Amino acid sequence: MTRQEIETKILHILEEEFEIENPGMDDDLREKHEFDSIDALELLGDIEDMLGSTLTREEKKQAMDIRTINQICDYVALMVEKKSL
Amino acid sequence: MERRVVITAASAITPIGHGKESIVDSLLHGKSGVISLREDDLLSGYIDCKVYGTIDYPIDFDFARKYRKTMGPVSYYACQAVKEVIESSGLEQDFLSSGKVGVAFGSTHGSPTVQREIYKNFFSRSEAKFAAIGAVDYLKSMVHTTAVNITKMFEITGRVISSSTACTTSSQSIGFGYESVKFGMQDAMICGGADEYDTTTVAVFDNLLACSTDFNETPHLTPRPFDTRRDGLVVGEGAGAVLVEEYEHARKRGAPILAEIIGFSCCNNGGDLILPSKDGITRTIKLGLENAKIHPDQVDFISAHATATKMGDVIEAQSIGNVYGDKPHVTGLKGYTGHTMGSCGVIETIMTLYMMEKGFIAPTLNLQEVDERCSMIGHTKTLMESDIRIASVQNFAFGGVNTSLFFKKHA
Repeated sequence: MTRQEIETKILHILEEEFEIENPGMDDDLREKHEFDSIDALELLGDIEDMLGSTLTREEKKQAMDIRTINQICDYVALMVEKKSL
Repeated sequence: MERRVVITAASAITPIGHGKESIVDSLLHGKSGVISLREDDLLSGYIDCKVYGTIDYPIDFDFARKYRKTMGPVSYYACQAVKEVIESSGLEQDFLSSGKVGVAFGSTHGSPTVQREIYKNFFSRSEAKFAAIGAVDYLKSMVHTTAVNITKMFEITGRVISSSTACTTSSQSIGFGYESVKFGMQDAMICGGADEYDTTTVAVFDNLLACSTDFNETPHLTPRPFDTRRDGLVVGEGAGAVLVEEYEHARKRGAPILAEIIGFSCCNNGGDLILPSKDGITRTIKLGLENAKIHPDQVDFISAHATATKMGDVIEAQSIGNVYGDKPHVTGLKGYTGHTMGSCGVIETIMTLYMMEKGFIAPTLNLQEVDERCSMIGHTKTLMESDIRIASVQNFAFGGVNTSLFFKKHA
């Protein structure tokens, strides 16, 4: 999965499922779009579907400080790389 | 400190309509909300009872995702009813978030629809699916899900009471809300209850042989409170909410007063968890009258719990007869809606308030021939014009929990 594909999928999920309108790649999702810890857990479920495998507890904890879409994409890219090793 | 307490707004979503106009119309025209049970992929094929008090009309829920994400169907109903109450109340957001307003709201068991999905995952034997059971599923399905989704949506910061006592859930909500305001702990309480479409509840009562089965082909003819041909209860769904407010607060802001709450009682039979108790019900009624500081002769109308079970209706009629004789008009409103479980107390309260306002008493639907064992009370057999000055709403639940509420028309 390329970085562009990840970005497209994440943006699609955020717009369609989380009903975030016109998200900016560096918006603070919590501050600007009321994206909370429940949303983060839901998104991790979607990311697991994207990866086709489950995330470990540590990997999930690692994601909890993420604030922007760029950071989400970096995280997914890292997980893709990790799972393909 | 004891303060006067009034109801200043109300809204209900019921099998016979959503909002005052449609509910009153159904009561005036004897319209039943009981239809055939929907097929599901779990229980409907095994249940003998094939009828349900159903909300079969669309509701325009316009909730943002930030609210929807923690709501199962039961919370949709609850939040919609409360939204309508708040909109019609004219209360300012500052007051709602002042800590002086609380919520007393419950359901029989959270959201069974969501719970069903959780259990499907549990038994899927798939680790991926098991891991998917998360905080959101719990927030949607937990017993106090209605109360806290209400606090979130309307930013209410006062006390939270979430009764979950089956058929007395929402009558307790009103009663405990009343006490919270009466004794100065809150200036207003949003009170009520909700329950969603659920075949599990039907299966429970069906297995106890308490559900109606003789009218599966003619659903509108059941339940039949106090009637010789009654053959059991009909489970239903619904929601209702009332704004319970301190009288002076309501008066100063010019709020319309739908009724004053003058009494509440709650007690337990102290014995069997299923069988109705004449002693328990009689004691509840007497405690309520004592709390309201009124004589039985002053009560004009009684909304009976009257689920249309063989024994329950007889015990209730005998208890009413013992305390009141045959003077007050008695109606079993479940004839219209079926038994809406956790929401029945508030829905029957709201119907009573509507009848109080409009000056009529609806008859017990499907009551054609009174069972002679229930004949000692003043059954409402036909629609009648009547000025209800004081009304009582009584409800009884599995577990031996009994409640009675007393309302006085505001002069």
